[in-house]
Amino acid sequence: MMPDNDHYVIIGNGPAGNHAAATLRQKDKDAKITIISDECIPYYYKPKLTDFIADKIVKEDLLVNPLDSYEIKNIRVRCGQAVDRIDPDSKTLFLQHMEKIKYSKLIIASGSNARVLPSMSSYADHLKFVTSYADVMEVKDEIQKAKDFFIFGGDLVGFKFLRMLSSMDNNVSILIYPDAFWPYHLTAGMMAQIIENLSKLNADIIVDDDILSIDEQNGSYRLTTQKGIEKTVDMVFSFNGLIPNIEFAKGSGIDIDHGILVDEYLKTNVSSIYACGSCAQIYNRTIKSYSTSIGWPNAVAQGEAAALNLLGDHKVIESVSKKYFDLEGVKIKTSWWEDIDKDSDA
Amino acid sequence: MEPIESAYLDEKLETVKDIDFLQYRSTDLPTWCPGCGYFGIVDAFYRACRELDLKHENIVTVSGIGCSGRTPIFINSYGFHTLHGRSIPVASGLKLAREDLTVFAVAGDGDALGIGGGHLPHVARKNINITFLLFDNSIYGLTKGQSSSTTPYEMRTNSHPAGNPDTPLNPIKLALSYGASFVARGYAGDPQGLKELIKEATLHQGFSFIQILTPCVTFDKENRTWKALKENVYDLNLHIEEKNMETAMRMAEHEPYGVGIFFQDRDRLHYQEILRNLNAASA
Amino acid sequence: MKDINIVIEICGSAGEGTISAGEILSRFMSSQGFEIMSFDSYPAEIRGFGKCVAHTRISANPIYSPGKLSDVLIALNDKHSISQLFALKENGILIYDSQPARPHKEDESVVGWAKPGMISYGIPLNMLAHKAAGNARGMNMVALGALAALFHVDKLAFTDSIKARYSKKKQIVIDSNVNSFLEGYDWAKKNIKKIDHHSLKGISLGRAKEKLIINGNQLVAQAALDANLSFYAGYPITPATKIMEILSKELPKHGGTLLQTEDEISAIGAVIGAGFGGKRAMTATSGPGFALMTEFTGLSVMAEVPAVIINSQRGGPSTGIPTKTEQSDFNSAVSGGTGDCPRIVLAPTDTKSCYEATVLALYLAEKYQTLVVLLLDFFLSNSIRNIDIPQKPSAEMLDANIAPDKEDLKDYQRYKITETGISPRAVPGTKGGMFFSTGLEHDEYGRPNYDDANHLKMTQKRYKKFNTVLLEAPAPEISVKDKETFDIGVISWGSSAGAAHEAAMTAQKEGINASSFSTMMVSPFPEKDLIEFADKCKKILIPELNFSGQFANFVTHILKRPVERLNFITGRPMASEDILQKMREM
Repeated sequence: MMPDNDHYVIIGNGPAGNHAAATLRQKDKDAKITIISDECIPYYYKPKLTDFIADKIVKEDLLVNPLDSYEIKNIRVRCGQAVDRIDPDSKTLFLQHMEKIKYSKLIIASGSNARVLPSMSSYADHLKFVTSYADVMEVKDEIQKAKDFFIFGGDLVGFKFLRMLSSMDNNVSILIYPDAFWPYHLTAGMMAQIIENLSKLNADIIVDDDILSIDEQNGSYRLTTQKGIEKTVDMVFSFNGLIPNIEFAKGSGIDIDHGILVDEYLKTNVSSIYACGSCAQIYNRTIKSYSTSIGWPNAVAQGEAAALNLLGDHKVIESVSKKYFDLEGVKIKTSWWEDIDKDSDA
Repeated sequence: MEPIESAYLDEKLETVKDIDFLQYRSTDLPTWCPGCGYFGIVDAFYRACRELDLKHENIVTVSGIGCSGRTPIFINSYGFHTLHGRSIPVASGLKLAREDLTVFAVAGDGDALGIGGGHLPHVARKNINITFLLFDNSIYGLTKGQSSSTTPYEMRTNSHPAGNPDTPLNPIKLALSYGASFVARGYAGDPQGLKELIKEATLHQGFSFIQILTPCVTFDKENRTWKALKENVYDLNLHIEEKNMETAMRMAEHEPYGVGIFFQDRDRLHYQEILRNLNAASA
Repeated sequence: MKDINIVIEICGSAGEGTISAGEILSRFMSSQGFEIMSFDSYPAEIRGFGKCVAHTRISANPIYSPGKLSDVLIALNDKHSISQLFALKENGILIYDSQPARPHKEDESVVGWAKPGMISYGIPLNMLAHKAAGNARGMNMVALGALAALFHVDKLAFTDSIKARYSKKKQIVIDSNVNSFLEGYDWAKKNIKKIDHHSLKGISLGRAKEKLIINGNQLVAQAALDANLSFYAGYPITPATKIMEILSKELPKHGGTLLQTEDEISAIGAVIGAGFGGKRAMTATSGPGFALMTEFTGLSVMAEVPAVIINSQRGGPSTGIPTKTEQSDFNSAVSGGTGDCPRIVLAPTDTKSCYEATVLALYLAEKYQTLVVLLLDFFLSNSIRNIDIPQKPSAEMLDANIAPDKEDLKDYQRYKITETGISPRAVPGTKGGMFFSTGLEHDEYGRPNYDDANHLKMTQKRYKKFNTVLLEAPAPEISVKDKETFDIGVISWGSSAGAAHEAAMTAQKEGINASSFSTMMVSPFPEKDLIEFADKCKKILIPELNFSGQFANFVTHILKRPVERLNFITGRPMASEDILQKMREM
């Protein structure tokens, strides 16, 4: 009897997962490859979500590949199916809808979700996010109807969102946290640059403050800051960075911290399981510690590397070609552990 | 009593007697041969209708294909010459739609028991109130002398020159088995007796089956000839309970030339009555 | 709201309430003022857990075809639903049980096979059903509840509809259904993040009048009763059996008689007997039964006896495919049988016109003393529409026999040659009207006559009568009339016509200058109308549900020009999407 082909399963349908899948297929024509995503939308460009909210693009424009591209590559995609837990011993994934899947090798590329500041956890129900398509669909119509907004935080998406709302003639207030771009910390110099850029917008910028309370009254939200600023708004948005989406890995025997711990080859403590993208904490030889990464280019590189390593290679993840994010005129290193060049640090 | 209003062909082919408003003007001679027993059947039929005082316009005769198919032409009423083996279904539909009419179905032995054999069980078990006359000459006459369903075993015919290999059906046994509520046999050479049977049959409220022994003078010169019939046919003179199936079956089996009423169940409801009762009960 | 046009499929195992869920959905949407069309499919086996699909199209505008692909698939049973995913649109919605009674083995969940573009909403159907009523039976209602919540349907209005549907059942049944619905509704409202754009928010079109939710078979039976049917004889055969079953109950109440015969030959024989007796009679069958009735079709025409045969077409030839639709009996209906045998053939193009067609059939059969074949198909027989309550036939339609007058009866000629070809017909019981009918060629008195001049004369009479029927042909249906020429003309018949009309109208919106033509009467065929239409069309397309292009052959013969053909024998109804695709290619 012919042995079954290998079944490579990838949890996550973002850039890391997709590039991993593509690489696996390129190298192995016969293996079964399955991508599992808890989102009900095929591989899409998260950075374009703000344009989508503003109706500058439609859903089809968000998608990276045509719908039939998976079929052509013979990659199976299971959308809208969340993983409940993993059993590495039996190499089985348990999906939330009570189906179990066996894998030969697993790549976890489940990405990250919006981080809710610990101080804000009691107000979590009042907060809205723009980290995924599902988040956006929840608020899209409401945004069109609303007029008054409060944003707090201040990461890449946050500022884009602010710009978008301002341009649509809304009343927007933004409370910038230096820690919003976690795990990066914005220096005073960076903050000043950012504020200068943002002042050109028609928005109310608040700094060196903190939210004291948020009260919901008849669909509106009444915010009070520590320094006594009061705002009554229709919607409150939080942009405070991302945390890895790894709930399903807890208790499985895979080593985790904030994210999935992997060595420089992107392998977890379990030999058949790899992780990559923003869900992973990667061991860095240089700093002898684990680093989290963010951004598209990192995810792509890591996805490819994880796939190659899974197949037997030994690629160490290098930093990517695009070295910086542009955050309101401030350059932020994509790989913060690198010493790229001294004067780029503004 | 008014003179018999009928149009029929004189046995000697001399005249076509036209009476009243239905004139029989055919450019062809009828297909019945001189001496055919069918003339006798039709004669008995007229007399029966007369004595029952049936109105012409209320009689419908439905025939199949065969020499017997022409029968309605000779009867001064509504007639329908249908398809081979199908006089019974047509007559059934007609009667069920028009309960006010008196409906007769006629067919030959080949028609009724061969191609039409599948219809007989059902008209009988449903007890549809029509009278069926089986013109049994034990041969296919119109197509010129082939074996039929009642042709005797080993008789030489035009389709079996070496002798008929088939065992004939017994029409009376069949009618009894199918549950007909009136089963009789008559003889074309006895218009009086046949007339009485037809009268009884018509009066009977249910499906009436009469097998009529009749010769085919042209194609059966050895078996069912006038001579043989005259010698063998006799009146069964049944003075037994009408509903005695065992006796009826025994007679049917052993008395192929006996004429009379084999079986009659007067108590059984005819089809329309049954339907009415059932529909009323379920309402 | 104005553009609501959505196809919802519910797929389950026999016994799971799949079909009844579809029925409740249709009824409710109809009560909210929407047009609905349902076409359900049942498993082939009588017992067991075969696959059922309740397919319903809901629209704010008139519906012409059932829709090829669905927008929503509600999966009550994973295994069966996997095999139904092919019919869900690329970006369709899948509603499935996220907490099934038993865990799925690998690859046995339906959501596992959903394509990347689909949107899947998992609802704990089983769990909620148990919560509502203690068992899994209400899963179908839980699913409907979830659908209602997702699509902004009014909760109370829907539960009212459920209560009305089960009003004759025990309170416990009503409650368990309503509660299951509410569990699904509330759960979905609370937990599901809607990421699709569909909405079924009720519209009030001001159409408060009640609609009839009905299929072709039921309409035919109703029409027959309204049109004074006296007698029905029939034999069970899929898909026509239902007509007989309805009439077996109703016809006696109307004073008529129903006869279940031993075979189809007996059935048509009895119908002809009743017709001879002057009473309106009909039978309903399908291909194999129709084939058996062939000999009698000749008798009806030759002896000029009224008869109506309904042939609900199914996959053929021979026993074929009893539970799938096809349009392959055109030839057989229009020209089957032996001899020069002209007969009237009516082929209604949608559910609603099954009523008019039946009334017309009984009228024409009686007036023209001949055979009328009424062609339906499995799809028309079984698909359900909500229609306005049909108007009952007028008095003229109910009594069409041309009786002989006193003069005629003096020397009554049953087959007298007249201007129209119709000979006054005395009905048995008429004094002085006695006559002899035969299947042999005959003279004007009905007496057998084999003379060649007579045969020509009588054949001409029968054809003259046949052509006179054209004067009473219903007007053809032409979808786009406001232009002088068209690039493509789609000519179709029977149930394919709806899809053809829809395709033509949609094509216009896409910039393809198209129109479509269909006619209920296909024999005699209104050739003049056809030619007039075809002359306006640069190209002709003839879609039909048969392999050999029976109608295309027929039309080509009339038009004497080449046509494009589009043939399907999938057993599914014609899809306007397929016709449109072909038109684009043309």
